[in-house]
Amino acid sequence: MLTDLTFEQVVRDHQAMVFRTLVRLTGSREHVDDLAQEVFLRLYRALPSFRGESLLTTYLYRIAVNVAQDEWKRRRRDNLTHVSLSDDTSGWEERLPHPSHNAEQQIEQREFQQAVEDHLQRLSQIERAVLVLYHQEERSYDQIAYALNLPIGTVRTHLHRGRKKMREALKTHPIQERSPAWTTNS
Amino acid sequence: MDHEQLNPDNSSPAALELDQRLVRALEAAPEIRIPAGFAARVASQVAPRPMVSSTPTHYGDYAMILGILASLAALFGLYTRNQHTFDLVETLLLTQFIGLTVWLSLRRHSLR
Repeated sequence: MLTDLTFEQVVRDHQAMVFRTLVRLTGSREHVDDLAQEVFLRLYRALPSFRGESLLTTYLYRIAVNVAQDEWKRRRRDNLTHVSLSDDTSGWEERLPHPSHNAEQQIEQREFQQAVEDHLQRLSQIERAVLVLYHQEERSYDQIAYALNLPIGTVRTHLHRGRKKMREALKTHPIQERSPAWTTNS
Repeated sequence: MDHEQLNPDNSSPAALELDQRLVRALEAAPEIRIPAGFAARVASQVAPRPMVSSTPTHYGDYAMILGILASLAALFGLYTRNQHTFDLVETLLLTQFIGLTVWLSLRRHSLR
């Protein structure tokens, strides 16, 4: 429990998880440190009522998803509908390790990764959150259900539906040419 | 994580290859840059929480026991002074005594 840990240590232990979840959920690195800070401040405020009914990490995922949803709403208000991980400090997908040393294959792999990121941002918020928590964060159905406050059956449905949409989108538009709209506001 | 097949309806090699690539892409975590001193900055923004004693005091329980003892003493005093009647005051004190005793015994049981 938290009694033996300082809050700073809790932040240090979980900051990487919170940052990468927020980056993937929001599809942008813009303001991600502000969002991560908001996650930890909400955690701190909630600590007195946190009774340990779940792991602290699962509780943090729940807060991170809520903060990402608030960010999506803010963007919708500000009409920032289309953002991408490929912003000015981007290219993380280009630095992904890949076993192939063939340059053409590497380029194709990067484009595929970018297409996945692009289609991921076109899913509904809940489908995106389920896919990120399941595949990237390797959370169980139980943990995802708790984080999203959904029944497990609904989590399975969203996971299946989200992957189906992704697969069909990738079949229809396997690799899209990058356009300025990906990196800027609409 | 053990992934079930994404597309069980379509097991063609191309579909399987696409599924595998999709899973690999989804599993690839983004590279992140955490600002130096982020944890210290966040921790400095939270107000220090007042120390809260984790040891329960049970002042209410003690007051309740005193109340029971006082009721018992009053009952005994009234009984020795006026043995031939059982008036309203004694009835109220007896009710209070029984009520407090039952309530306290239930409460102490639930606190274990």
